[in-house]
Amino acid sequence: MTETIIFYVFAVLAVICAIGVVAFRNPVTSAMNMALCFGCTAAILFGMGAQFLGIVQIIVYAGAILVLFLFVVMMLDLKTEENSNFLANISGVAIAAVFAAMVTSVAMHLPGACLCCCKAEPAKQVQQGALGGELPKLCPAAAARQLDPQADVTKADSMPDIKLLGQCLYTKHTIAFAILSFALLAGSVGAVAISRKIRKD
Amino acid sequence: MSYIPIKRPKFSLLDKIYVVELVKGLVRTFKHLALSVLRRSRGKDDFNAQGIGVCMQFPETRWDERLPEYYRGAPTLVRGEDGRERCVSCQLCEFICPARAIKVVPGPVSADSACQKQEKAPAEFEIDMLRCIYCGMCQEACPEQAIFLSKEYLITLTDRSKSVRDKETLYRLGGTRKGLVNKWNQHK
Amino acid sequence: METIINCWNEIMGNEVVFYLLTTLVKLVIMFAVILAFVVISVWTERRVAGWIQDRPGPNRAGLPLFLLQRFGSKEKQPLKNWLHFFGIPETSWIAKLCTWLRLDREIPTMGLIQPCLDGGKLFLKQEQTPSYVRKLYFIIAPMLVLGPPLVAAAVVPFASHVDTSFGSIQMCVANLGIGPLWIFAISGLSVYGLTLAGWSSNSKFPFIGGLRATAQLISYEVSMGLAIIPLLMMFGSLNLQEIVQYQAENGWTLLPLWGEGLSLQRWAMMLPLAISFVVFVTCVFAEANRTPFDMAECETDLVGGYHTEYSSMKFASFFMGEYAAMVIGSAVVVTLFLGGWSVGFGADAYLAGICPWLAVLCQFIMFLVKLYAFIFFFVWVRWTLPRFRWDQVMKLGWLVFLEVAVANIFLAAAVLYFIK
Repeated sequence: MTETIIFYVFAVLAVICAIGVVAFRNPVTSAMNMALCFGCTAAILFGMGAQFLGIVQIIVYAGAILVLFLFVVMMLDLKTEENSNFLANISGVAIAAVFAAMVTSVAMHLPGACLCCCKAEPAKQVQQGALGGELPKLCPAAAARQLDPQADVTKADSMPDIKLLGQCLYTKHTIAFAILSFALLAGSVGAVAISRKIRKD
Repeated sequence: MSYIPIKRPKFSLLDKIYVVELVKGLVRTFKHLALSVLRRSRGKDDFNAQGIGVCMQFPETRWDERLPEYYRGAPTLVRGEDGRERCVSCQLCEFICPARAIKVVPGPVSADSACQKQEKAPAEFEIDMLRCIYCGMCQEACPEQAIFLSKEYLITLTDRSKSVRDKETLYRLGGTRKGLVNKWNQHK
Repeated sequence: METIINCWNEIMGNEVVFYLLTTLVKLVIMFAVILAFVVISVWTERRVAGWIQDRPGPNRAGLPLFLLQRFGSKEKQPLKNWLHFFGIPETSWIAKLCTWLRLDREIPTMGLIQPCLDGGKLFLKQEQTPSYVRKLYFIIAPMLVLGPPLVAAAVVPFASHVDTSFGSIQMCVANLGIGPLWIFAISGLSVYGLTLAGWSSNSKFPFIGGLRATAQLISYEVSMGLAIIPLLMMFGSLNLQEIVQYQAENGWTLLPLWGEGLSLQRWAMMLPLAISFVVFVTCVFAEANRTPFDMAECETDLVGGYHTEYSSMKFASFFMGEYAAMVIGSAVVVTLFLGGWSVGFGADAYLAGICPWLAVLCQFIMFLVKLYAFIFFFVWVRWTLPRFRWDQVMKLGWLVFLEVAVANIFLAAAVLYFIK
């Protein structure tokens, strides 16, 4: 019950903030809306009991990446958008449509997606869906039940969701995780190489 | 322009690690702290301090006995040993005063004075203590050694109109000085 | 009476009500402690600064409403004057009571009133908002600085737990399984306040201050997170209450003298843990924007930094936010490295055996003592070290601490793996 309320409240807030990101003309206001949006997403994750993911969402996105965004926006001193370009609008809509299609297709293939459509308790359903699905076990209660049926997952405080996440990442999805890490490493090395000035002397 | 190159000190590895130097600094500051807390700060006697640091606790302990000889406080007028007003109202102090604090109105020498040779005597002599900057130029300029800077430093007014000191006040504050200035004495 | 007790039992028997009530009480305690410590740390800062620089520091401010004060010290017979004023004979019981209560002399306030009066002054000062600022963000920014430290404190445990007949009470507001991360995440959000303050002031010095604050906080957050990984590897938990419980039983992180703390492994871990401690504490200094890392409000080159344009209570919010961040930083260091609320040497279990409430009280006092000791350390370092140069700060963060922290993780892993 509480989960559902939390989900709906923060989901609505997140959507409103997300609309605010594109609707506001002042870049800093957009960025702040984005921060709020991240906060709402984190709150949804908290509501589902995935505290670790929620807090990582805040640390990484709201606390670091978005601050850098803000940093750049302020440094460049972007003026508020005055007149809009027709071509830019069209391309923006096209990109948004492609992303929406991708997200919808992923959502439709989620285990438990059908239940989601029928009944009005998505949070709960997704959680149950994760039980039998192929997804990483992000919902600690469900995942813990799967990994260790005897585990006592009723106590919300002692949810070992970090352990579960770790087990999931380092056993079942090791290769994908390693590949991703190398991709990120290569990316950061590349960024350093590009941004570094080669001194003549 | 010539310049002297100063060599930067070479830092050893230990210095570069910084932690040891940091601890040294912490010990140094802690020594000062401990001495202050124990009321034994070094040099406290020079300032008559309580020992929590070297600060003189002002309204309770005062500078008075420790003022140096060259201290420049409020300017005052002095009389000679013979009780004669030394000021001859030459107005040099008025002209030199950078803050224009001094106002002299010359008048005739009183008939009973022993020094009829001197042409003028101050009828009025006023120093505005709100304007005075205690520079001591008046004392420097005075050919008669009539104006001196006293050691008075606590000048607190409750009213702007009280800032101007008149002749009587200045003479009262100045008192008499030793050493006769005899050049105006017609009997000598 | 009976009905009241019954009613009480019934109310407290309800799990939700019990939870809400205890949480409310804990919240009140937490806020009271933090705000009191903000005041105390301001006082400590100024007094210790004075002592280190051979000055007395603020020692004059007295109780303004305490009329006996006006007549000064005992020698001036303030009591006699006041008795005379009110027409009370000197031999009456009122006079005797006052003498017994030591009201016949000046009360040594040690200048403790000073920060309170400063707060009052800031509260009463005229609020000036320059015409060129971006109003909305200008108003939001101080809130964003003061808020996060207070919220972040929710996970810091200030005592052990108590089992009552209605249920167990954990002595921290939120017993989350992600303690340190919660603190990093939430206190990291205060960077928004600094950035927005700098940007919305719409003038160059605050802007540079805001940018510096942003860059610095982001840089040091990385090393800070990496620095505590060796600890987490050792504790095997992210729950701060569990971490402190482990330390109470098996020796503080930096003082393993009892329980399992005497094992070879724990002593071998001392090296990586000491490195962690140095890195983490330095990062906490940087996160709290304290000297030697107060680049954001470096008055020699930035006037006042990000709060140049602020006045009155908005400025006070920045000021309090800085000190609240310092208090929280100290609380985290104490919790992770110095045993948190643990009294130490096995005294916790002994005290809990006598009376759990006594144990909780002792632990709470112990926690406050440790907290204050670390705040003193903060202040002490501030008045010892000069401010770093901006490029030195960045170099230290990215080129030294990040590498040291990462290497330290491997070192800790090796110790944990090879030394059993």
